[in-house]
Amino acid sequence: MVTREDVENIALLSKLFVPEEELDGLTKSMQEIIDFADTISNAPASAEGFDNINNLSNVFREDEVVPSYPASEILKNAPEQAEDHFLVRNRE
Amino acid sequence: MGTIAAIHEKLVSKQVSCTELTKAYLKEIENANGELNAYVCVTPDEALQTAAAVDKKIAAGEALGLLEGVPMTLKDNMSTKGIDTTCCSKILTGYKPIFDATVWELLKAQNAVMLGKTNMDEFAMGSSCENSCFGGAMNPFDVNHVAGGSSGGVASAVGGNIAAYGLGSDTGGSIRQPASFCGVVGLKPTYGAVSRYGLIAYASSLDQIGPITKSVEDASIVFDAIAKQDKRDSTSLGAVGGETYSKLTNDIKGMKIGIAREYLDGVRDDVKAAVLDAAKVYESLGAEIVYFDLPVLKFALPVYYIIACAEASSNLGRYDGIRYGYKTAHYTGTHDMICRTRSEGFGEEVKRRILLGTYVLSAGYYDAYYKKATDLRGTIIKAFNDAFAHCDVILAPTVPMTAFEKGHATSDPIETYLTDICTVPVNIAGLPGVSVPCGFNEKGVPIGMQLIGKSFGEATILNAAYQYQQAAPEKFTDTKWGVKL
Repeated sequence: MVTREDVENIALLSKLFVPEEELDGLTKSMQEIIDFADTISNAPASAEGFDNINNLSNVFREDEVVPSYPASEILKNAPEQAEDHFLVRNRE
Repeated sequence: MGTIAAIHEKLVSKQVSCTELTKAYLKEIENANGELNAYVCVTPDEALQTAAAVDKKIAAGEALGLLEGVPMTLKDNMSTKGIDTTCCSKILTGYKPIFDATVWELLKAQNAVMLGKTNMDEFAMGSSCENSCFGGAMNPFDVNHVAGGSSGGVASAVGGNIAAYGLGSDTGGSIRQPASFCGVVGLKPTYGAVSRYGLIAYASSLDQIGPITKSVEDASIVFDAIAKQDKRDSTSLGAVGGETYSKLTNDIKGMKIGIAREYLDGVRDDVKAAVLDAAKVYESLGAEIVYFDLPVLKFALPVYYIIACAEASSNLGRYDGIRYGYKTAHYTGTHDMICRTRSEGFGEEVKRRILLGTYVLSAGYYDAYYKKATDLRGTIIKAFNDAFAHCDVILAPTVPMTAFEKGHATSDPIETYLTDICTVPVNIAGLPGVSVPCGFNEKGVPIGMQLIGKSFGEATILNAAYQYQQAAPEKFTDTKWGVKL
């Protein structure tokens, strides 16, 4: 059962605001999707398990030093920047 | 002869210069894009610059690679240095990557002429392309129908001859489904065959880049060009199964083509009939049709949505209004700024999937949903492995229906999710799948079939697809749009 409180809590964790007028609709649609997802609860327990698709395992290699992108390039996409840093204001 | 070879032939025989060809494509984009809405960004300057370089090579009598000078497009979730890459989301408005995706680096090195970036469902989440912040791409066979999704723009552009080929990405069917809707070929490679570096992530354990083309040989040429190991993607292995192009003409006599009965459940009659007709074509070519059961398929769709949304909720955590893209105008404090930015920047479906993903990963629900789904993923992989002990290729519909009419897909999320039922199992199991046109419905809208292969079995499925194309060329018809070669 998905409740309004669940949706509010999940939204907070997801860093999303859900306007009050959308809360009931969203709770209903989440409930429908979760009901649908619940069909797997009837599935038999898996004997196989899963780690990753091609059974890859970690391999070690020598550390290679390569140039990084200049900060000025990276900052070109920032909404705000100052003195070679991303700028985050406390309020606007 | 496929479109790529035809263009190559025209360029090397100097019937047309690369600049003239590129201008012809750009002109047709101008004519068609108002209705098809396939392109969200057109890059004439870059395209003509590359075309000039190709013309210079031709004039100097230098040999030309097959992809050199061929006009193409990329889905708007592949990073292109200095060119807008938005995932068709408001939250990435104005974002210009400072690096190229590996696939684009590989094609650029072969002087591919990129005409622009193409439309998609926001962050590749959708099956109709209508979740795009630019509005949906339309079907070149009938503009009252959608192009499909999420790589709808690429499929629309290729079907509409305003790109010779394009690259899409496929997380749960996003290459194969729009290819099926638009009457073109779409290949989702084996997970790991193509580098994902520079592909903006949706669900990293499912995402894979692949070609959308007019013909099977074109899909093979492009796949061979992009299936390279890349140290910048730790899951990339390259073309483990070897190159595919030289194997297209192999005889398929004795090839065992499997049909899982579950893939035909709930499939519309016209689609089922077209797929079974294709099976008859295969029999006439000497292949053997084998029926079998794959009961675990009934869990594939919920498993897919749980895993995809869980991974998306984590991957999309990076959009915070600080480093790139959209940022809200008014806020009080950092938390408020991030929440407002994300709430204003993401569309409805993206928010729904982030919430769902957060839900299935949260304490109390993790074991019942995410853990159970990943366990079932192991069961699904084993079921496919067992099936491939009895057949070489699996034949299935690509989509249980044909292209939806405009506006139909967005009304009910569950109903829309169900359209992915035939495509998601391949992503869950990491297998290659190719969608090939195999007929038309009563309105003349295309039907697609899917050939699924063993891991890294691209050469086998493309071989089977090519033999079908040669035996049933009438299924590969053209549209009224675009450049006629």
